[in-house]
Amino acid sequence: MYSIAQSIDTDVLVMGGGIAGLMAAIASADRGAKVIVAEKANTRRSGSGATGNDHFRCWIPEKHGPDYRVIMNEVLNFSQFGLCHDTVLTRRFLEKSFDIVKMWDAWGIPMRPTGDWEFTGHAFPGRIRSALKYDGAQQKPILTREARKRGAGILNHHAVIELLAEDGEIAGALTLDTSRDEPAFTLIRAKCVVVATGCTTRLYVNKATPGWMFNTAFCPGNAGGGIAQSFRAGAKLVNLELATRHAGPRYFERAGKSTWIGVYKYPDGRTLGPFVSKPTKELGDITSDIWNASFTEVVKNGSGPAYLDCSETSPEDLAYMRWGMKGEGLTALLDYMDREGIDPARHAVEFMQYEPFLIGKGLDVDINGQCSLPGLYAAGDVVGNFRADIGGAAVYGWISGDHAGTSAAGRTLRGSLERHPAVERTLALCADIMKRGERGYAWDEANMAVQQLMSDYAPAGPFEKRSESLLDAGLHYMRALRGKSRAGLGAVCSHTLLRALESLDLMDVGEALMVAARERRESRGPHLRADYTFTNPMLGELFLDVFLREGEIQTEWRKRNMV
Amino acid sequence: MPPVIDREKCTGCGTCAEICPVQVFRHHKDNDKIPEVKFRRECWHCNACVLDCPAGAVSLSVPLPCMLLHVDASTLKPREPRHV
Ligand SMILES: Cc1cc2nc3c(=O)[nH]c(=O)nc-3n(C[C@H](O)[C@H](O)[C@H](O)COP(=O)(O)OP(=O)(O)OC[C@H]3O[C@@H](n4cnc5c(N)ncnc54)[C@H](O)[C@@H]3O)c2cc1C
Ligand code: SF4
Ligand code: SF4
Repeated sequence: MYSIAQSIDTDVLVMGGGIAGLMAAIASADRGAKVIVAEKANTRRSGSGATGNDHFRCWIPEKHGPDYRVIMNEVLNFSQFGLCHDTVLTRRFLEKSFDIVKMWDAWGIPMRPTGDWEFTGHAFPGRIRSALKYDGAQQKPILTREARKRGAGILNHHAVIELLAEDGEIAGALTLDTSRDEPAFTLIRAKCVVVATGCTTRLYVNKATPGWMFNTAFCPGNAGGGIAQSFRAGAKLVNLELATRHAGPRYFERAGKSTWIGVYKYPDGRTLGPFVSKPTKELGDITSDIWNASFTEVVKNGSGPAYLDCSETSPEDLAYMRWGMKGEGLTALLDYMDREGIDPARHAVEFMQYEPFLIGKGLDVDINGQCSLPGLYAAGDVVGNFRADIGGAAVYGWISGDHAGTSAAGRTLRGSLERHPAVERTLALCADIMKRGERGYAWDEANMAVQQLMSDYAPAGPFEKRSESLLDAGLHYMRALRGKSRAGLGAVCSHTLLRALESLDLMDVGEALMVAARERRESRGPHLRADYTFTNPMLGELFLDVFLREGEIQTEWRKRNMV
Repeated sequence: MPPVIDREKCTGCGTCAEICPVQVFRHHKDNDKIPEVKFRRECWHCNACVLDCPAGAVSLSVPLPCMLLHVDASTLKPREPRHV
């Protein structure tokens, strides 16, 4: 049996030091709160923003005019992330967005690298543009510096493995220190916890390279921990069944999508989408954002594959694209293309649709980022009722941290958590897994098994369908898999132990997703039901929550929160 | 395979092992000054280790299944119909 190596008390604990987590830490510390960030990797280069991003959604009144609704309409109806918003959050996000952009600019993240606020890419012809082009290559080191400057404590290589609630409120967390091979555990008591663990990857079989599960578009270290652990602690999840799919170059998932400046084409040279025929940096080709199913469709119907053709892009725009890719963190792609002699001026790159993942589907939060469990907050890609990727993570990270930092003053620390049942259970589980060592099931067996069940029994469209009986079967198998895994997983060091625990978290996420998918008796977006093929307008203004009560998974429809 | 460390250039500073977002490296300083590329199949190709290595000692090799599929752009044009 393991014991606690270290105990820490804090006002605000931030789970995950990605973009949202670091912004939450900064805002909480600015409110005078004592802040600890527990980060699975190292905040300098962790998460989906590790080596950069380049488009930041925001409303800049001096560019867009005084009415936020103009940009709100773009985000909700003309972008890939409009499906699952409580629009009161979208408004709050937009109203705060320019302040955050100016903060980042002041801290040295180049938000106007060409001198002025410039909106290029992710755009429709003739419409207002909402994606600010910036250079995020150094965003993580800079945000880490700003958090430290304000006194936030950062525990790198400390993954949160269990969130702890007491009397229906958040009380703290148990972390696994993976900096050495021997596992060590730190217990953190906190008045408030901000969950900022990013999207959920590794839940479905990798579409590009089924045998290579870390070849993902978004960070493969983000394995559903925030969602699964909040769910176990009693928080509500929302929109889980509407898992989305991303697209990009075929087979090399870490290759970005929207910094490419070209036109999508069929093999016979016809353009795929109706939006552009001449490539320009101002627009890019929005087809891959709003109709990424096209890449699957053209293969299924035999008219494909689809290519991105940059050969008619001007030399200036090609240079701009290369610069943009550096800012987006795609230097591995650039090095690879240089080595292999792949030249966008001459070569067309095939695109595909990747496996489903959870982004903007997860924790249900209110306008201040608070979850249904008192003291618990969530921000960034892990949230289920709002999504704006990097801009959303930055702005809502700040909003939730600001609120947590203020409200912590009115909350008290709970008594000792050493005897908390979830702590004892988790430590015993870890001890069992380590004891089995190499004799047990390896973590990647468990992870692949989850992926198989999700892809076969709860797939996401196009073409692939769900149904009551398939989901019932999937749930049955998932529960059996969890039973076998808990009783049989083995690990030999802290790293493989963490991966084993992640696989168990993914099983919980998968189970909750399947229960929600069974309850949504209609087809909507990527959620296609073979037994309910229509989209039910009555459900358009409702969201579906899923949560645990007395050990049972429950679902509940709630009203969408509209402006 | 994913990251490759040039043993001649590496100074053993440990940066790559410290910052990798998915902990591909293990650095057992007492046994070997150079970090071990231990969990190579977990590399995400984010390039952080390449960018942040002060000695320029890391390079990435992209696995074969991840190869970027591409064709000569001039081939994207209508084809002659083929008759049987
Ligand atoms: C190549 C690429 C390009 C992109 N370009 C853009 C763009 O131009 N514009 C845009 O809007 N978006 C872009 N995105 C998406 C954007 O990066 C994400 O939306 C954003 O990083 C989300 O921030 P987050 O804080 O929610 O999650 P992340 O930044 O992913 O951070 C999550 C953090 O949580 C940590 N963590 C996870 N689990 C645990 C745990 N159990 N315990 C402790 N820590 C944990 C992770 O290590 C990580 O540090 C891009 C993504 C990629 C990969
Ligand atoms: S490329 Fe990124 S994921 Fe791969 S070893 Fe280097 S730092 Fe780690
Ligand atoms: S960062 Fe470079 S020099 Fe430092 S340990 Fe890694 S490979 Fe060696």
